[in-house]
Amino acid sequence: MPIEFTLNRQPVAAPDDKADMPLLWFLREDLRLKGTKFGCGIGQCGACTVLANASTVRSCVMRLADAKGLSIVTIEGLARDEQHLHPVQQAWIETDVAQCGYCQGGQILSAVALLERTPNPSDADIDAAMSNICRCGSYVRIRKAVKAAALRSKTTQL
Amino acid sequence: MRPPATAPHLDRRSFLKASVSAAGALLISIPLPPRSSLAARTAGASPSWCVYLTLHPDNSAELMSPVMEMGQFMRTTGPMILADEMDLDWALVTVTRDEPVRMIRNDKGEVGYEYGQSAAGGSQTVRNNWDYMRRAGATVRRMLMEEAAARWQVSADTLTTRDSFVIDPNRDRRLSYGELAGKAASRQVQPEQVKLKQRADYRIMGKDAGVVDVRDIVMGRPLFAIDEDYPSALQAVIERAPALNAEIAGYNKDAVLAIPGVRHIIELPRKVEDHWPGGDAQVLAAGIAVLADSMWAAMQGRKALQAQWKNAATDDSNQQIQEFHRLVAGNGVADKLVDDGDVDAAFATADLVLDHTYEKPLFAHACMEPHNCIADVRRDGATIIVGHQVPHTVAREVELIAGLDALKVKVISKRMGGGFGRRGELDFIREAVTLSHRIKAPVKVTWTREDEIQRDFFDAAAVMRVRAAVKDKRITAWQHRQAQTRGRPEASDYFPAKVVSNYRVEQFPSTSNILVGPWRAPTMLQWAFATESMLDELAHATGQDPLAFRLQWLQPYQEYSINNWAAKSIHSGRMAKCYEAAARLADWNRPRPKGTGLGIAGHFTFGTYAACVLEVSVSDTDELKILRAWGAIDCGFAINPNHIRSQMEGGFVDGLNAALFNDVRVSEGRVVNDNFNTLRWMRLREAPMSIEVEIIDSGYDPTGVGEPPLAPAGAALANAIFAACGKRVRRMPIADTFKI
Repeated sequence: MPIEFTLNRQPVAAPDDKADMPLLWFLREDLRLKGTKFGCGIGQCGACTVLANASTVRSCVMRLADAKGLSIVTIEGLARDEQHLHPVQQAWIETDVAQCGYCQGGQILSAVALLERTPNPSDADIDAAMSNICRCGSYVRIRKAVKAAALRSKTTQL
Repeated sequence: MRPPATAPHLDRRSFLKASVSAAGALLISIPLPPRSSLAARTAGASPSWCVYLTLHPDNSAELMSPVMEMGQFMRTTGPMILADEMDLDWALVTVTRDEPVRMIRNDKGEVGYEYGQSAAGGSQTVRNNWDYMRRAGATVRRMLMEEAAARWQVSADTLTTRDSFVIDPNRDRRLSYGELAGKAASRQVQPEQVKLKQRADYRIMGKDAGVVDVRDIVMGRPLFAIDEDYPSALQAVIERAPALNAEIAGYNKDAVLAIPGVRHIIELPRKVEDHWPGGDAQVLAAGIAVLADSMWAAMQGRKALQAQWKNAATDDSNQQIQEFHRLVAGNGVADKLVDDGDVDAAFATADLVLDHTYEKPLFAHACMEPHNCIADVRRDGATIIVGHQVPHTVAREVELIAGLDALKVKVISKRMGGGFGRRGELDFIREAVTLSHRIKAPVKVTWTREDEIQRDFFDAAAVMRVRAAVKDKRITAWQHRQAQTRGRPEASDYFPAKVVSNYRVEQFPSTSNILVGPWRAPTMLQWAFATESMLDELAHATGQDPLAFRLQWLQPYQEYSINNWAAKSIHSGRMAKCYEAAARLADWNRPRPKGTGLGIAGHFTFGTYAACVLEVSVSDTDELKILRAWGAIDCGFAINPNHIRSQMEGGFVDGLNAALFNDVRVSEGRVVNDNFNTLRWMRLREAPMSIEVEIIDSGYDPTGVGEPPLAPAGAALANAIFAACGKRVRRMPIADTFKI
């Protein structure tokens, strides 16, 4: 039985002989969606973060079988189209967060999940939710951008 | 040492080359006159610069960066310099995504860059390209003016330019660059006609610009080499000798080949050669490569290898650090790297001598994008897709391994998910090239995080004993006596050199199998940790304010000549202004609550001055909290203030991470902590809540910002902890002593 789930609002069926493959490698290799990054392979750094039913998941340690029935969103699927970026993406652009940029897709999705749960996060909320590593150390701007996105979300209809 | 800079022969008659592409766009190449002194350690220096510039009929412009991006912002900064001198409308500029590396062979047979200095390292890329980029932009601008002048039958000297238009102010008419481009290609411009702008006339430089690739980044587009798929390439993962120097003893070939998708198992022998720093080193570990149809299959194959190894080295990083302590504490004779004035006499007549020893562990790079390389080596040429800091060495490596002419190697430079010096090494290139050459088919090698940390070329561990003499409340002598894993301190001719006239640096030579290589500002953090901690200790021991003590120490404010590969002079007044500015931002004199304190530190790194103040709190039970930071930087003219601030923020956080957590340990020749579960790395919650930055405009030409913000962080943290709780920490990682 194929493993069925929703990916970026489209139905996907993965062959069940890949049940043990991490979702990360299915996305990157089989679907060639390269926005989800390989960073550590043990669920630590968060470069591979995706949303599963609006919560963050480290896709490098999620078996494909466990994606069954979930709604998965990757960084490629966050914006509806080129003209309609998500407020978090817009805040990331305005704040000019990125340095090398490798971790930022994961950071953005972590911020999206935080703001879904907590539209007006305190610094302590941001500390607790934003656990992804940025090797370039863009944390000060990440914090700023999360706050800017919270403001944006208040005034913008998604 | 690094390969010497190459100097390709230049035909001076061909001052300007231009051509029109099939699409009608103007492609211009401008070899420019050589710059007299290029840093010899930075490989690939070349005396010409090519503007890969395309002007389209709709007046949009495509630029190519001189240097690939690794988070240091060169893909934004480089084009800004060119665009400003050209008077382009920045809103009409795009920067092409990948960068083919144009190479040439000089008459000595050395391979270098055909048109410019494309290597990234040592915070030198802005300095190396500043003159070239400006002259190139000004030359193209003049060509466009000449073409407009011919059409209007006026002298080009009567025309001006602005926002991608040539303007005739006398007749109130204008022509777009896009309209002029095709014909402008044949216009001759002499060097004396090329006039560089005055700074007051800059319209793009000096203003905040954002990352040119920002939209691609937030959309998750494939920008990195690891994101590249190459037609019919096999995926390779490599089980490398877990311990230094080990060789293959055996492995389970049949089990691996039984895994669906696995195609080949190939042994890669270890390789030793001269390497910076410290001479002969294992530059490539022995490995068993598993090549498969997919990365996942290759990873399964690697697990099934069950490899055994022999002849491993048994280095132990902790034992080595203890040996360094014994050396610096003892009376043994060390190499004198610097010996100014009469140090012994000054110590003999001192009012006060402080004698403290500071310790630093091995630092890992942990580039966020694990190393990877695609190699397609054929009989008549090769294609390499990789993110690399010194791309011409990639082509040379293909020549050495496959016997192909380096000029027949197409190196496609990709954005790097961090470099920090590690992406100047060649091990991952060698593996991919060797495998592709062996199986005569394209191969993509991808490392895991564990591979990346186990096989890193670290920033050296070091133990530094600093003795300082004080007479009449001023420092009269300074002795820095140290040992480190390999190499030597790169900052021994920076402060306290010159400002302390009796000054000595001694080093005990070390032989270790543990590998050391360039790491963001190599050895700078250790130097600033020892020097700036000792300055603080001296200030407190003599009852002086740490800021005032430093400002007095640096007087008289003046420029000193030094003989360093990255800087020919160092200015005590520029350093002092950074301390003052950072302290002003921090409101230095405002009393802080009990348990909260400010620490200050500064450092000169490869031509740029940076200082910072950090605020921390420490509880009665030694729980440390990092609160806020303020920094000041003097990097000469600020081309893009936004990205200078960004480097100050990120570099300072990187420095704090290094001082707190970055601590690789080697035992029995193998790295003990090889992923982020055991090698702790800073997260947002541990970083300063805010970092406020002042950029000091000293009027000098621009210098680099990639490395300089980092070094002061360790000492600023130690000094802040002392101010908060009265405890002095002299050993990194600081998280071993204080809970965070």
